[in-house]
Amino acid sequence: MKYANLVLPFTPVRGHWLRILVATQAALALVLWTLAGSRALPSPLEVGAAWLDLVRHQGLLFELWASVKVSLVALALSTLAAVALTCLATAPVFMPLARLSAAMRFLGFAGLTYVFMLMSSDTTALRVAILAFGMFVFMVTALLADLAATSRDQVDHCRTLGMRHWRITGEVVLLGKADVILDLMRQNAAVGWTLLTLVEGLTRAGGGIGALLLNQNRYFLLAGVFAIQLTILVVGLAQDALLALLKEAACPWSTLGKERAGA
Amino acid sequence: MNPDATYTLGERLLTLDNVCVRYDRPVLEGVSGHIDDIHREGVQQGQVVCLLGPSGIGKSQLFRCIAGLQKPSAGRVLLNGSQREVRPGEVGVVAQNYPLFNHRTVWGNLMLAARRHGRPAQQARDDCLALLERFGLADSARRHPMMLSGGQRQRVAIAQQLLCSSHFLLMDEPFSGLDPLAKSRVCETLIDVSTTHELNTIIVVTHDIESAIRISDTLWLLGRNRDASGQPAAGAAIQQVVDLAAQGLAWDPDIESRPQFRELAAELKARFETL
Repeated sequence: MKYANLVLPFTPVRGHWLRILVATQAALALVLWTLAGSRALPSPLEVGAAWLDLVRHQGLLFELWASVKVSLVALALSTLAAVALTCLATAPVFMPLARLSAAMRFLGFAGLTYVFMLMSSDTTALRVAILAFGMFVFMVTALLADLAATSRDQVDHCRTLGMRHWRITGEVVLLGKADVILDLMRQNAAVGWTLLTLVEGLTRAGGGIGALLLNQNRYFLLAGVFAIQLTILVVGLAQDALLALLKEAACPWSTLGKERAGA
Repeated sequence: MNPDATYTLGERLLTLDNVCVRYDRPVLEGVSGHIDDIHREGVQQGQVVCLLGPSGIGKSQLFRCIAGLQKPSAGRVLLNGSQREVRPGEVGVVAQNYPLFNHRTVWGNLMLAARRHGRPAQQARDDCLALLERFGLADSARRHPMMLSGGQRQRVAIAQQLLCSSHFLLMDEPFSGLDPLAKSRVCETLIDVSTTHELNTIIVVTHDIESAIRISDTLWLLGRNRDASGQPAAGAAIQQVVDLAAQGLAWDPDIESRPQFRELAAELKARFETL
């Protein structure tokens, strides 16, 4: 491969070349970070020290586990609710309800906290409810868009095999879109981590990594902020990789015949 | 005359009884036709009818009506000796893009069809295995449809529909975009399917006149209706039935070498202009 081609769009790149590019750019970023000392950007050593301090004295890992649990429960609940509603939406009578649910993505969290507070038994339940709602509305929106793209041929194909009504929904939506659902779970898991800080900020007394981050932010402890953000980044990427593995194992067909441009 | 072309006709298998499809304007108006069971001595002779017509004439609408996927605005599609109205699932349909469930393997696609038809599990497995062998797909059983070539995909789609339909198979443009060799293979597959059961009936919607003559016993020409003065009238219907069996042009493996084949192909091409 000619090095000059690496800057040209859609140049096919083999796996080892991609790894070299990633490693080189990561190393370069680390060097620049180390050299660029400023008040707004703590050095890697300062961030490392802050991370150790957070683990030893402020229970970072304990708070992280509490947040992971909230995030996973919310992800599971929102996925179940969104998939169920999308299946129901194949019947015209449920479509308005599904569209209304999707439209709720425009609502602000702050305005919903009080409603959810009245409905929840404790802080954890409240966080799960708010987070699950936040994920649910976006997942329903994406699933409805995918449902709208279902061709008449797919439904006709089911009918020629003697399937009817909900059996068609099961085949086309539940099984046929399992890969889409898992992809949306990956996206929602990422959205969940960005919402978590907000949700835990609304109920700060319940702890969690989001509350810890807001406390560090409040006292301008930038090294601590960076340490927590990097921890969230690593956990988020690991979660994403696990979901990608799950998708590959459960839906091996989903990547067949799809060649990526530049790969 | 093909010496093996003697035949008799039996019971009525399919009737198009004045089928009409209307939206804001009539698409099909008064489509009538029928398919009878053909008997030939020593052969499990099924029926192959090709529906020819220009683009946009309403072939797809008629296709959907015959499959039971769309109820005609008026008229009926009747099946079998009892001549009752068609229902979805009774007529196998192989659409142009060979629809299969991409989330299932070839085996999973066939088993789903076999089980939907109410077979016991063991019989379903045996029937699927037999079809995989017959269509040269045994090595592809564990593969997903995305991993198959166009020809393999088409054969799986045919096999799937054969497993769950009651001897009727509708095919939409099975020769579209194929090279001559691939077309010959599809023709052989269709002839093979039509001769494995006396009642097997294949209706092919196509633009390919030569392939249609090669495999059919009857051609239906779908075209615009015209009034007494020859002006185009509302909707389309079957304007001409070409009985290849009666003309001695059916079931001849060497039909393409006969002068009548070329004459008929040229005649039908000219007829297309006026449909």
